[in-house]
Amino acid sequence: MSATDVTTRTVARTAAPPKRWGSLLRATLRILLSVSVTILGLLALTFFIGRLLPLDPVLAILGDDASQEAVDRLTARLGLDRPLHEQFLSYVVNSLTFDFGESLTSGRPVIEDIARVFPATLELATLAMIFGTGIGIPLGVLAAANRDSWIDQCVRVISLIGYSAPIFWLGLLGLSIFYAGLGWVGPPGRIDIVHQYDIETWSGLYLVDSAIAGQWDIFADVFGRIVLPASILAYGAMAYISRMTRSFMLEQFGQEYIIAARAKGASKRRVIWQHAFPNIAVQLVTVVALSYAFLLEGAVLTETVFAWPGFGRYLTTALLRADMNAVLGCTLLIGLIFIGLNLLSDLFYRIFDPRTR
Amino acid sequence: MVVLPVYAFAANVSEIVTYYDCHTIRFVHGIVMNKKRHHRENDMVRTKTASGALAGAAICLGLGTQAGAETPPDTMVMARNIDAISTFDPAQIGEVVTDELIINICDSLVEIDPADEAAVLPAVAKDWTVSEDGQTITFDLVEDAVFPSGNPVRAEDVVWSLSRVLELGFGNAATLTEYGFTAESAADAFVATGEHTFEMNLSRPYPTDLILQAIASNRVANVLDKELIMAEEVDGDRGNKFLTTNTACVGPYALRQWNAGEVVILEANENYYGDAPKLDRWIIRHVAEAQAQRLLLEQGDIDVARDLGAEDLRDLDGQEGITVASVPVHQVFYLGFDNGQERFQDDRVRQAFRYLIDYDGLADTVMAYLAMPRASVVPLGAYGALDEDEGQPYELDLDKARELLAEAGYADGFSARLFVGTLPYNAPLAQHIQANAAEVGIDLQIEQMANAQLFSAFRGRDFDTVMLSWRTSVPHAHGMLSRHAVNPDNSDEAQMTMYPTWRASWFREEYNTRIDEALFEADPDKQLELYRQLQLDHLEQGPFAYMFQMLDTAAYRDAVQNWTWNGFKVFYDQISKG
Repeated sequence: MSATDVTTRTVARTAAPPKRWGSLLRATLRILLSVSVTILGLLALTFFIGRLLPLDPVLAILGDDASQEAVDRLTARLGLDRPLHEQFLSYVVNSLTFDFGESLTSGRPVIEDIARVFPATLELATLAMIFGTGIGIPLGVLAAANRDSWIDQCVRVISLIGYSAPIFWLGLLGLSIFYAGLGWVGPPGRIDIVHQYDIETWSGLYLVDSAIAGQWDIFADVFGRIVLPASILAYGAMAYISRMTRSFMLEQFGQEYIIAARAKGASKRRVIWQHAFPNIAVQLVTVVALSYAFLLEGAVLTETVFAWPGFGRYLTTALLRADMNAVLGCTLLIGLIFIGLNLLSDLFYRIFDPRTR
Repeated sequence: MVVLPVYAFAANVSEIVTYYDCHTIRFVHGIVMNKKRHHRENDMVRTKTASGALAGAAICLGLGTQAGAETPPDTMVMARNIDAISTFDPAQIGEVVTDELIINICDSLVEIDPADEAAVLPAVAKDWTVSEDGQTITFDLVEDAVFPSGNPVRAEDVVWSLSRVLELGFGNAATLTEYGFTAESAADAFVATGEHTFEMNLSRPYPTDLILQAIASNRVANVLDKELIMAEEVDGDRGNKFLTTNTACVGPYALRQWNAGEVVILEANENYYGDAPKLDRWIIRHVAEAQAQRLLLEQGDIDVARDLGAEDLRDLDGQEGITVASVPVHQVFYLGFDNGQERFQDDRVRQAFRYLIDYDGLADTVMAYLAMPRASVVPLGAYGALDEDEGQPYELDLDKARELLAEAGYADGFSARLFVGTLPYNAPLAQHIQANAAEVGIDLQIEQMANAQLFSAFRGRDFDTVMLSWRTSVPHAHGMLSRHAVNPDNSDEAQMTMYPTWRASWFREEYNTRIDEALFEADPDKQLELYRQLQLDHLEQGPFAYMFQMLDTAAYRDAVQNWTWNGFKVFYDQISKG
């Protein structure tokens, strides 16, 4: 190796960081641009769909019995008689500051309502995902490892039921058995009325808040109420995750590197967990992220059956009441959740899959 | 991204739940409950077999005794779907749930007598006199009433409360404009002649009983705390924004808390000028699903359930420890027709539809505990209403319907849309009519939609047939006839959208005149006869096919005592627990 070669290599090494920083900056800008365009598209879509729906927010405020003069007056006051592009511009500007106006269904700013109902759904969906992922992935792996055995058949039947049974039906059945019959879980509702005003809440996640505050009686009450709806939701998620895990694992089992590992004498457990499983992690991240996003979007029926004051029911009620401010605010939030989880998935891709780095 | 599918889905949620919430659940629930009862009867203590992680976790956390807790003796816990609540401003409230709450929070000048809904009792007005010409009613107000803020209740507050309803112009203003009051004339019509004396000047000599029923006992006459509310006024809104989430009035209870879609808590008003309410607190928990309400009631986690379905009520009726009670309300359920279309202009076509409905069959099944058959426009219990038999002359008769259609020139039938809302019973009722209509050659295409969309279509005259209900605020024949038979101007430009007759493009000048005559007829016997004849004619010529008079139904546990209600009010202050 000549002195010139060494010098060139040293220069190359010292020049590398600025190049990486530039690449990172470009990647960040690309993501920001992509997110901005997506959000703008989402705003346009939600706004124009909101205007196209045959729902009249003015009537929703005034009542069916209102005179036409009153309707005209309020239409003008709300700016609904202005050209669509003007209304859209105001909507975009206001949305950028998270000002979605006031909800017709609660009389409060939509953003405050969302801040109130979203934690309820977040808590429910997160617990459901913990249950669903914790059970679904091992079940899927187990089924794949024992393909066509009775274990596989059992997992498939369990998954099939999870897919096909209506969730509200499962909810009511669960309430009849575990609440009314056996008394193992609490009644519908997020928290006992007695505790409603005692809980010291800062995050809106009652389990977390009560645990941090050491209010264990409240924690027990909240857990007793959340465990059934979370389990019911988890069942659906578990069914999906276990089927997908099984399918991904079977695909890996057919790969040559698995045959090579087996030929080298690796144990079955080692082949499954150290060879095959890490290779499905990327795909699983997408499946889990999507399941989570769908649960966060709102488990309307579960929330209805369990009298859960969550995001899905808030959005549904808003739609039925022609509360377009709330509908638009919620839809935008759902879009942001999907965008956020997609970005998170991308990040996990980079961690789990060296080829994407 | 998700609005359209969610919207389409949301419109059907309640129906889907109701549809599926049925046999398997009831079957399993029945087994479980029977087993529990059996255990109790035999006084056996059995160890429940806990299996699986769920049970383990629950038991570890000591949750095994969660169900079946007694509700506090000084508190009524009622389950109800409170999604409809959107404001506590009496000028704006337009639906039954908030109406029930507000009239227990805010007193009006007078109140409906619990024993006789056609009579009124003193409230904020301790007595009243009527001038000889019948155009001025003078109310003397109670002198020791104070608002929760500490401000005294004055005649000035009454004037301001009534006037703001007209100024704000929400749907409730129609209760006042109906009797000639306008925002412009309010200063002359409502006058405080003293600290505690209020004068209501009428533009015509309306019957005093009707004015007392329609206005003085209505939420538009809820007496509000002017001083407090005006301090909260924003952009000349007369405190509308403030009253969305607050109350500022005098009544047996005060609103302590409202979490939209979660809970409403009322607490007894310690400074109430009238008799103290029997209970300290009413908690109205939001439980949208009927089956969940039933489970809560059976377990004793609630005292009262208000939104149970027909099957649940049938199961609970007669069950030990639970009472099922119903009261007819002044709300009619009807099928509307667009009389602007030639086919529906013909009285015989609309008459034919009245023979397509199995009134008794539906009342015993889909509408059991929810409604009773009624074809007359005026509900039973109202002054001047036809009696039960005369007010329900129709029955299912397909031959008669065919005959009427043939006479009208529609022997081969026709095709039309039928718009229905999302209440659980809407779809089965629509399907019933659709099936019978098909028998006589009419092809009805059912379109189910959110109520807000349904109202828009009806008000916009953009429908063929529509299924709706209408609630009147007064137990008097005039209450219904003035909206369902009167149409001041049928032109599109008139936009008389507050009249269902205008929405249905139905206009008969003679009805406008006859209803006015009946209203001002001084001889009670003659007046009753005029109302009777109007209803009989309306049965054949009216714009709508009335099907039912709705019932308000509650199921409550034995601990609840003296459940007092009528078609206009549930008297929270008189209900107690033992």
